[in-house]
Amino acid sequence: MATVFRFSAHARRATPLLGAVALLMLTGCASAAPAAEPSKPAAPAASAYPLTVENCGTEVTFEKAPERVLTIKSTSTEMLLALGLEDRLIGQAFPDGPIPDALGGEDVPVISDKVPGQEAVLTLEPDLVYAGWESNFSADGAGDRETLASLGVNTYVSPAACKEAGKPDTLRFDDVFDQIEEIGALFDVPGAATELIDEQRAALDDLTPVSDVSALWYSSGSDIPYVGAGSGAPQMIMDAVGVTNIAAGVDDSWTPFNWESVVDANPDVIILVVSDWGSAEKKIGVLQSNPATAKLDAVVNERFITVPFAATEAGVRNVEAAATIAGQLEKLGL
Amino acid sequence: MTATIETPSRPAPFAGRELRRVPPTAWVVLLSGILLLSIVFSVTLGPADIRPAEVWGSILGHLGLDPTALGGQVLSPLRDGIVWELRVPRILTAAAVGAGLALSGTVMQAITRNPLADPYLLGLSSGASLGAVAVILLGFGLLLPVAAFAGALAALLATLLLAGAAGALTPTRTVLAGLAVSSFFGAVTSLVIFWSATGDTYREILSWLLGSLSGAGWPAVAIGAGALLIVGLPLMLTGRTLDAFAFGDTAASALGIGVNPTRWLLLTATALLTGAMVAVSGSIGFVGLILPHAVRLVAGQRNRVVLPLSALAGAVFLIWIDTGARTLFDPRELPVGILTAVVGAPVFALLLLRARRIR
Repeated sequence: MATVFRFSAHARRATPLLGAVALLMLTGCASAAPAAEPSKPAAPAASAYPLTVENCGTEVTFEKAPERVLTIKSTSTEMLLALGLEDRLIGQAFPDGPIPDALGGEDVPVISDKVPGQEAVLTLEPDLVYAGWESNFSADGAGDRETLASLGVNTYVSPAACKEAGKPDTLRFDDVFDQIEEIGALFDVPGAATELIDEQRAALDDLTPVSDVSALWYSSGSDIPYVGAGSGAPQMIMDAVGVTNIAAGVDDSWTPFNWESVVDANPDVIILVVSDWGSAEKKIGVLQSNPATAKLDAVVNERFITVPFAATEAGVRNVEAAATIAGQLEKLGL
Repeated sequence: MTATIETPSRPAPFAGRELRRVPPTAWVVLLSGILLLSIVFSVTLGPADIRPAEVWGSILGHLGLDPTALGGQVLSPLRDGIVWELRVPRILTAAAVGAGLALSGTVMQAITRNPLADPYLLGLSSGASLGAVAVILLGFGLLLPVAAFAGALAALLATLLLAGAAGALTPTRTVLAGLAVSSFFGAVTSLVIFWSATGDTYREILSWLLGSLSGAGWPAVAIGAGALLIVGLPLMLTGRTLDAFAFGDTAASALGIGVNPTRWLLLTATALLTGAMVAVSGSIGFVGLILPHAVRLVAGQRNRVVLPLSALAGAVFLIWIDTGARTLFDPRELPVGILTAVVGAPVFALLLLRARRIR
């Protein structure tokens, strides 16, 4: 699959064929359970520039591996750190929480707590801005993608966060791994990408899924709960650990939900997404103070599971999120 | 006194004259009946699949009656919670807020002799929202109703002083001043949100700007119904005074009304009422604007009649709009203010077109 990224002009023409190949490989991955690695190029070759990728419906061409990268949101920062690309980072913005110690990155300056403005971005003279949300690239955010491109700044959005074009219908771990592979190709570190993917696949295979456990993925909100829905990273992670998502019926990554449906479903556990702005205590407080949700089995028996926010958006920490949820389920005796 | 105070019977713009012959008490009885039916029926609707018999069983049980009487059924504590802790208080809050906003609108329209007056257009709602958002972000949630009232009053004062400073309080000047004040308070609210909202907490605050009844529990019912009882009910009895204002300040004072004190008293009362409603539901637009007009179309101009009918119609209107907000896109919810605007703006346009005589 890595070949997709190797050619610029040819890449587009070859897309349908490669797409078919990719599909075959995906189905291969899905059916052949553990170890059986799909046949792939012996040693990943170095990337050949210029290299063009289609990203959320925008074509982005890289003349060489990016050297001055600004990341927006934790998922993109952590992706580069996980691939050993800390030296390419000139700054990060809009972090969602602390970066795990294992990934390093203590020295990467945080240039803004929220989405930085266009000028703040340009003064850093990045050659790539890598954002976790497509909406980060707007005229009143880090800048329009076209405008940045005309100024010689490349842009890249985590494909799982594409709003329309390029968004996977239902996010799978293979999509996450494809993104790791794509970033590996863009930065000319295909070996590191392969290594990381192998490591994550192995960790994923080690999980023992539970069964007959239903869950609410409570991301934020109090009057209107904002919850993990049926087709994004939360669903992918819940599938990996074997819990049933009570909001799976909504075809979106996250969705505004309603307490009536939550009470009606009475989930076995409640997965609380923890961030700097939304602690587990705050969410538990909301659940306990609303007389209707206070009667939920999960609330009465305090069957809460926590997961860090940054690990719940598509990226290198999703496997870790699945593992921590699996561990907590085990502790709860489920 | 009565005959002279009554608004001259303007020819009905389009409503049939036959409707005007229906005695006011008949309208009150009819609308009260519709309100009761709306509550009873809307409580059976919702994302959770609960049969009407179960719903009524739950309500009867909580009212201290035998749930199985009248064909009700006993249901599990969780499902009982859905009915009694989520649906019932939300519907009652919707009724109180709808009635309160429609009443405020009626009083403001009469006092300012301005058919466009409404808590939303004159900036009261955005002032109240600013007060509410500010105390929430500062962490003094308990002061919410007080802050909302203070914000509404500040916005009302700003609007009237601005309009008054520019000359006589004409409808046009009042609306323009309201626009300025409402834009300003809206901008300050957005600024506060922009600087202090972290992560995706902006969703919470968006519901203040658009209006939402999602979080309405029994405390919200207490605030809404309490304000309606303490402030709304006396306002409902001011019909004669309001009718006097319809002829102008000179005529009103000739009728023995202390024009300025009365005006300020009534306007402060509407600010109090609006503040209480915004405190439980955010700023919901159009209810206070269109319902008094709709009522006048069928029941005439006399405020004695318009006031109670507006309150009843506002309650019915908001119950159904909010039922739409929580069921149309099940299991997602819409902020109810989006729906009141979607329904209210075209209705208002229609009123404007058909009632050209209203200047």
